[in-house]
Amino acid sequence: MSTPSSALSLLAASTTRGLAGNNRRLILTRWLAGVVVLLATAFTVHGLRLPLPEAPLYLVGCFILAYNAVLAWLTRRAYTPDDVAYGQRIQRLVLWQVGLDWLSMWVFMHLTGGIASPGITFFFIHVVMVTVLLPGQSPYIYAGIAVLGVVLIALLEGAGILPRYSPLPGVTCELCANPMYAVAQVLFLAVGLFATAYITASIIQRLRLRERQISALLQTAEDVNATLELGDTLERLAINAALALSVSGASIRLLDSSGETLQMAASYGLSRVYLEKGPVALSASQVDREALSGQAVIVHDPQRDPRVQYPAEMAAEGIQSVLAVPILGRRRPLGVLRVYSRDANRFDQEDADFITAIAQQGAIAIENALAHDALQRADHERAQFVRTVTHELRAPVTGAQSLVSLLSRNIVGELTPEQRDIVDRLEKRFDLLLALIGDLLAFAASKAVDLKQPLVPVSLTTTLQQVVERLAPQAQHKGLDFSLNLPPEPLTVQATEEGLARIFDNLIGNAVKYTPEGGKVLVSAWREGPSVHVSVADTGIGIPAEDIEKLGQEFFRAANAREANITGTGLGMTIVKQLLGTFGGLLSVQSMVGQGTTFTVTLPLAAEGA
Amino acid sequence: MPKAKILVIDDDPDIALATRLVLEKAGYEVLEARSSAEGLAKIKAEKPDLIVLDVMMESTTAGFQTALTLRSRDPKSEYKEYSTIPIIMLTSIHSTTPLRFGPEEDYLPVEEFIDKPIDPEVLVAKVNALLRR
Repeated sequence: MSTPSSALSLLAASTTRGLAGNNRRLILTRWLAGVVVLLATAFTVHGLRLPLPEAPLYLVGCFILAYNAVLAWLTRRAYTPDDVAYGQRIQRLVLWQVGLDWLSMWVFMHLTGGIASPGITFFFIHVVMVTVLLPGQSPYIYAGIAVLGVVLIALLEGAGILPRYSPLPGVTCELCANPMYAVAQVLFLAVGLFATAYITASIIQRLRLRERQISALLQTAEDVNATLELGDTLERLAINAALALSVSGASIRLLDSSGETLQMAASYGLSRVYLEKGPVALSASQVDREALSGQAVIVHDPQRDPRVQYPAEMAAEGIQSVLAVPILGRRRPLGVLRVYSRDANRFDQEDADFITAIAQQGAIAIENALAHDALQRADHERAQFVRTVTHELRAPVTGAQSLVSLLSRNIVGELTPEQRDIVDRLEKRFDLLLALIGDLLAFAASKAVDLKQPLVPVSLTTTLQQVVERLAPQAQHKGLDFSLNLPPEPLTVQATEEGLARIFDNLIGNAVKYTPEGGKVLVSAWREGPSVHVSVADTGIGIPAEDIEKLGQEFFRAANAREANITGTGLGMTIVKQLLGTFGGLLSVQSMVGQGTTFTVTLPLAAEGA
Repeated sequence: MPKAKILVIDDDPDIALATRLVLEKAGYEVLEARSSAEGLAKIKAEKPDLIVLDVMMESTTAGFQTALTLRSRDPKSEYKEYSTIPIIMLTSIHSTTPLRFGPEEDYLPVEEFIDKPIDPEVLVAKVNALLRR
């Protein structure tokens, strides 16, 4: 279940990862900057033989490399699995980096011509970096500090407290001494830096918003597919919508069956009082009527907008802006997704487009869930119907069969041979009819297993022992060599008790039924890795190759079974396959007509200790 | 020795007839009741030696409830003196659920189960065993 806190921490994690990455890049770039300062100085002085304040520049280069080493070391130490704390540490490190960079850049600027230094442009690069890395107002503060530093250097140089270096070796700067030039340079620098910070910040903000929206949409698509529990899914949609827009709340209301009222289905960030203010009647809420007609509605002033049904409640909740979009199903509108903000004029068309996309995901979720519910209900009803019908069928058949047995057992007098023959035929017919009804019932139950009963660990060992015990009299009656081979360790599988017994009742029951007198039926179970195999081998009539793949078909019976006049319903194998599918099992068949058949069931073992 | 008296409580007249004829042939006196209520009244009036009780009657578990009423552990139960009468329960559940449940005192206080349709030999054997013939 995705809770607001986990969704937020996800956002925090991705932000922190971004920040840490940028921090690393900043450090890498600085190694380069330090080395370039040293090499460029050396090249200019020794290669070009131009006069430069060599020693101070080397010092600046070494200083940059030195504090970068310390920062790199601190960065490695700062790591902690707690994303929020890690993010805070990295931000503190970034503050230090920028502060130290400012210092070295002031010195560098001073050494390369003061106010006329070509290196002054480096400040722009840094302001962009700071704006990317640091939140809120800090880029402007740093831009201000940079400008103040430049002003200070200009003043100190102008007052002669600091020496004035030439901007380029061998170039003297007459202008630099001119106060007008200095003021103009500083002003242009200041305007340039602040504008850079502002433009960068707005680009970054839009990028971040997009990023949040894209991840919210992706998350939403994932959530919609993750579960068929409608309540959960809608809850997550509301959370994603609110978090992606960084607003205070969201709600999803669905049209009820009357089509007149919207009922709250999920919400995020709204108070209980607000949620319990009552249902939204379409006749009273123009916002929702407009939204349901298919368009996004933005309310900039809920207290005064006549389209709002509950202005006072919204005021009490502190809601200043509302955005309502329709949740449109394939055939009809399903409901309304609203997001709420405590800021006035918060929403624009772009937000509306984004929330509409989230609402479309909601529509998919709702229709999936409704379809799933309907299917489940239909399946359940069908199973229930078959159950009822077969129970109703059973009662008269058992009544009739009980009466026939009065005749066949001579309880109401001796029968003539002809009468006995007829009564025997009647009994056989009733037996088959009852078997058919029993199988139909089991078939309906096997279809209903996954809907109704949870799978539990069931002892395969006990089940096999019980089934074999139950069939033993029948096997003995036919003089079969009937045996069960079990491994010493207990075998447990995930199944339902009734279903597992039904599988082996059918397979072993068939083996006994289709094996002629004096034959052999061997049931063995063995463990192999995470699975257990159960083989049921008989020396029976076998299954023709062309019939093997039809075994799972409802009411299918192999030709030789029908010819041999062995009664059966043709549902047993269908039931076995259906149940094995539910329990995650497999069935394989090997058979030779006239020689025998071996069915092998493979089931995953239940986890140890389960 | 007087014939032992057996009460058959079943709403299906065919099953009741079959049961009655089988048991009469085996030498028992047989009474019939068509519902739980009629059955309980006849138990009080006739004090049978054994009861054959159907599960599904007016409700799907009417027989279970009748058995529980008879075997109530409440010391003030009006059926206290009949609580030792052996009960054979007729079910159609066994053949639809492969796992058989045997009589278990806490769960269902009856002595025997018999699947429908009624097999005359099985019925007579179980009745004889319970009445110690």
